[in-house]
Amino acid sequence: MPNTAQLSPQEEQEKLLDEALQVVKAQSFQMKRCLDKGKLMDGLKHASNMLSELRTSMLSPKSYYELYMSITDELRHLEIYLVDEFQKGRKVADLYELVQYAGNIVPRLYLLITVGVVYIKANELSRKDILKDLVEMCRGVQHPLRGLFLRNYLLQCTKNVLPDAEEEVAASGDPESGTVKDSIDFIHLNFAEMNKLWVRMQHQGHTRDKDKREQERRELRILVGTNLVRLSQLECVDMEMYKRHILTGVLEQTVSCRDPIAQEYLMECIIQVFPDEFHLQTLTGFLKACADLHPDVNVKNIIIALIDRLAQFANKEEGVGIPQDIQLFDIFSQQISQVIQNRPDMPPEDIVSLQVALINLALKCYPDRVDYVDKVLETTEEIFNRLNLDHIENSSAVSKELMRLMKIPVDSYNNILTVLQLEHFGPLFEYFDFAAKKSMSSYIIVNALDNDIKIPSQEQVDAILNLVAPLVCDQEGQPQDDIDPEDFAEEQGLMGRLINLMQAEDADQQYLILNAARKHFGNGGNMRIKYTLPPLVFAAYKLAFKYKELEEEDDKWEKKCQKIFQFCHQTIGALIKAEMAEVPLRLFLQGGLAAGEIGFENHESVAYEFLSQAFSLYEDEISDSKAQLSAITLIIATFEKMKCFGEENHEPLRTQCALAASKLLKKPDQCRGVATCSHLFWSGKTRESEGEEVQDGKRVMECLKKSLRIANQCMDSSVQVQLFVEILNHYIYMYEKGNDQMTVQVLNQLIGKIREDLPNLESNEETEQINKHFQNTIEHLRLRQESPENDGPTYEGLIL
Amino acid sequence: MSFFGFGQSAEIDIILDGQDTRKVAEIKTEDGRKEKHFLYYDGESVVGKVNVTLKKPGTKLEHQGIKIEFIGQIELYYDRGNHHEFTSLVKELARPGELSQNTSYNFEFVQVEKPYESYTGTNVRLRYFLRVTIVKRISDAVKEKEIIVHTLSQYPDMNNSIKMEVGIEDCLHIEFEYNKSKYHLKDVIVGKIYFLLVRIKIKHMEIQIIKRETTGTGPNTFNENETIAKYEIMDGAPVRGESIPIRLFLSGYDLTPTMRDINKKFSVRYYLNLVLVDEEERRYFKQQEITVFRKAEKVRKPIQQAAYQGKHALKQFQSNSTQQQANSDEES
Repeated sequence: MPNTAQLSPQEEQEKLLDEALQVVKAQSFQMKRCLDKGKLMDGLKHASNMLSELRTSMLSPKSYYELYMSITDELRHLEIYLVDEFQKGRKVADLYELVQYAGNIVPRLYLLITVGVVYIKANELSRKDILKDLVEMCRGVQHPLRGLFLRNYLLQCTKNVLPDAEEEVAASGDPESGTVKDSIDFIHLNFAEMNKLWVRMQHQGHTRDKDKREQERRELRILVGTNLVRLSQLECVDMEMYKRHILTGVLEQTVSCRDPIAQEYLMECIIQVFPDEFHLQTLTGFLKACADLHPDVNVKNIIIALIDRLAQFANKEEGVGIPQDIQLFDIFSQQISQVIQNRPDMPPEDIVSLQVALINLALKCYPDRVDYVDKVLETTEEIFNRLNLDHIENSSAVSKELMRLMKIPVDSYNNILTVLQLEHFGPLFEYFDFAAKKSMSSYIIVNALDNDIKIPSQEQVDAILNLVAPLVCDQEGQPQDDIDPEDFAEEQGLMGRLINLMQAEDADQQYLILNAARKHFGNGGNMRIKYTLPPLVFAAYKLAFKYKELEEEDDKWEKKCQKIFQFCHQTIGALIKAEMAEVPLRLFLQGGLAAGEIGFENHESVAYEFLSQAFSLYEDEISDSKAQLSAITLIIATFEKMKCFGEENHEPLRTQCALAASKLLKKPDQCRGVATCSHLFWSGKTRESEGEEVQDGKRVMECLKKSLRIANQCMDSSVQVQLFVEILNHYIYMYEKGNDQMTVQVLNQLIGKIREDLPNLESNEETEQINKHFQNTIEHLRLRQESPENDGPTYEGLIL
Repeated sequence: MSFFGFGQSAEIDIILDGQDTRKVAEIKTEDGRKEKHFLYYDGESVVGKVNVTLKKPGTKLEHQGIKIEFIGQIELYYDRGNHHEFTSLVKELARPGELSQNTSYNFEFVQVEKPYESYTGTNVRLRYFLRVTIVKRISDAVKEKEIIVHTLSQYPDMNNSIKMEVGIEDCLHIEFEYNKSKYHLKDVIVGKIYFLLVRIKIKHMEIQIIKRETTGTGPNTFNENETIAKYEIMDGAPVRGESIPIRLFLSGYDLTPTMRDINKKFSVRYYLNLVLVDEEERRYFKQQEITVFRKAEKVRKPIQQAAYQGKHALKQFQSNSTQQQANSDEES
């Protein structure tokens, strides 16, 4: 042996295959030559030689397949020759017997099949009998690989000659040609035998080769599946026949083989090859079979595949949809629970996956049946309860699946109110752990926000807030780890936005809603209420305005407004208790403004209370000078807008403002505060002024002068000039508003002062800005000077 | 026949009646060649005429009488000298006298009993022939003519199937069934093997037809086994519950009818041998005797005859390849 070098298994395969193919080539050449010369017997002998190559045990399934393809390709020549001969009338009557003298079974059966089909095509002998004989004789090959290919050859050859006539039709014709029933029997038997061989492969050889063997089996599965394809191609098969004669047998075989790989493949094969109309009528049987499959079979995938197909079918445009008489959902629901019951070892995530499929089915096929969706949730809950699952860890498979399940109704309805109708939606929440609960809560809220779903009743508000409790307040057993502040802000921001969705048709109802929400959010703790209470206060103010609109219809509106403001006062109080100042301050101001505007009974004292509360917050809680300035500016601005106060209330507030402004720590702040304050004396309104501006020019000037004086005290010349320019603007405003205390002279004086100081400033960006501000101001004045407004004052004598 | 070149000699021809219509059958000779002779059945008359042609016209042939014999005999090859004649009939054609011209004699053996079938085996031959003898003083002139006899059997009244469960405890249990116990020469064996228990790794299974020729008696009995057919009926390892079909056409094989204790000299019996071979090349087998008989044959159409020959061609090839496959066959 010259070539004893170690070959890799793959090279070995290639070599063996190559050798076999050489023989095939040589023998098929001889065969064709003999056939050309009309020497049938010699031709058969060479065909048999060629077929003997298929007796090998050395080839892998892949190589064997190649060999098989090459040989069957050559066998077609023989078949064509024989058909030809028969057509010419040169019959070889005993050929069917003749080929059976071949001593080896594999070549013999290949030849027998070839000849048998020729007989069928030539209408010799009974087609029915030949088919029966062929499929029976193939039992002789029990070697899995060789048997599978042999039977595949049988299936290929008989493809176009299977009887496909209905029984009644056939009865009138040649009884020997058979009916579709014969074809079904034929394929059934072949299928059963092939499946047995295929399953048997699993149990041969070493356990260490298990993976390889399973791989090989998967490569071969199409051979088995072809039987089912062939069954599906029989045209005479109607519903009844499918149900009674086809499916039952196939399922029986599938279930009884008890091989996971085969079962998984065959069940999916059934789903794929037969039409949906058939599936619809045979659901119960099919699903029952699913329940009986081997525990290792992923039943989930099978059922899901079926559901997906049917759901698709139901939604097909041209289709007829699901027939009325088929309770698709009920059937699936029942059978799935049976499957689950039969498989105590089924992982919970798979159980949930099944429910996911079921819920999809319900939503796709019965979009109006909320109760179906709820039923699925109920079932899921029961299962979880039975399995004693609790606090399912986030990001575990079950948790993911359950989340998927629960998101489906959310996404599908896009309406949180519909979701609330699902009685078992909430209870299922309890099976999540905290993180998952929270993430699911956010999902629901975001969905509500995206779809802008108004929540119109207190009960619904309660329900939602109970549902998303992890976002509302601290939960028992909540992990104490640090929360990313940004995430937290985002999450609570959602809740704030949610409040905007709480809108009842009816004002009284809205009041109840706000109260309910207040109760929930009030428990949120200091961190949360910062985000949730302010929108609530705003919503309350909005409601007060609504009552104002209803004053004609609702004679108790004023009382109700008072209650609302009490509610707000108390809510803001909660924020203050949580050591917040700036937000409450602003809320108070907003409240004062609202109270003043609505003008219900007793509103003045309410407004006064709110403003004075704002003041005391300012005084007690705000220490940062910048914050102080902006707060006092805000207070002044708010106060300036209000016109509900009588002089007795207006005066102390106003004085307080001026006082507070002049007490600011930093000079520039003082300066700006006091300047702002000046407006109170001009455009402030009191009850006495009947909503008109008080326009106390003298006091205005006092303020502005004071402000200028403070500016003069500033050490930083740059800031000083900046303040001058700002004061100049106040001057101009007052001048233009017609304050007779303000004169061109005063303006000229200040402009001169600025002109003098400005060039001395160090040139930098800041200076540039100040300069620009100044230039713009001057430009404004120039324009006014050149083309004065009709009712405005003249700028005569102004020096620019 | 002439010695010393003087005296008359004659040529003898045996012409059987109806040679144009009588069937011819084939039989092997001892050295394996095939010869064709006219075919007769039991009880048929053997009729014809003997032509004596004188070689030297004008000269007389003196003889002590002319006779024709019909002989059936068994020849045992190891006992060449002794031929056992089981049938011997003589007819005198002419009394002693002289022949001066070519003469024909009619003869007729009426309804001759031909109890056995012509047979050529490994150690024994059973043959029928006619012998004409012109008895002369010095040496007789003798002429023999072979005929072939086929024994025909009625389809047997009882023909039960062969059904049996066999096995090795806890290892292999099978049940096999052959549809009949008696098969005619052109019959088909149909049957099945049912596997009740399989704990060995079977590689394949075949059916063999074994012909056993027994000669002699007592201590001098010789058995000669010949495997006429090897026919694979299963490839691969079956599992419990499998049922494997058998269908074996007999007409393609060179069979004779079963012969039991022919004239107390020999027997030819046939056995079906079911052989299972496991992956370690161990062989498990079970032999069952079957009876082979000859049924009156219908006239074959010419086209079928062609196919018949084809069968032989294919079988020949197959059995060659089988031999290559199973070189290590050691049966005991």
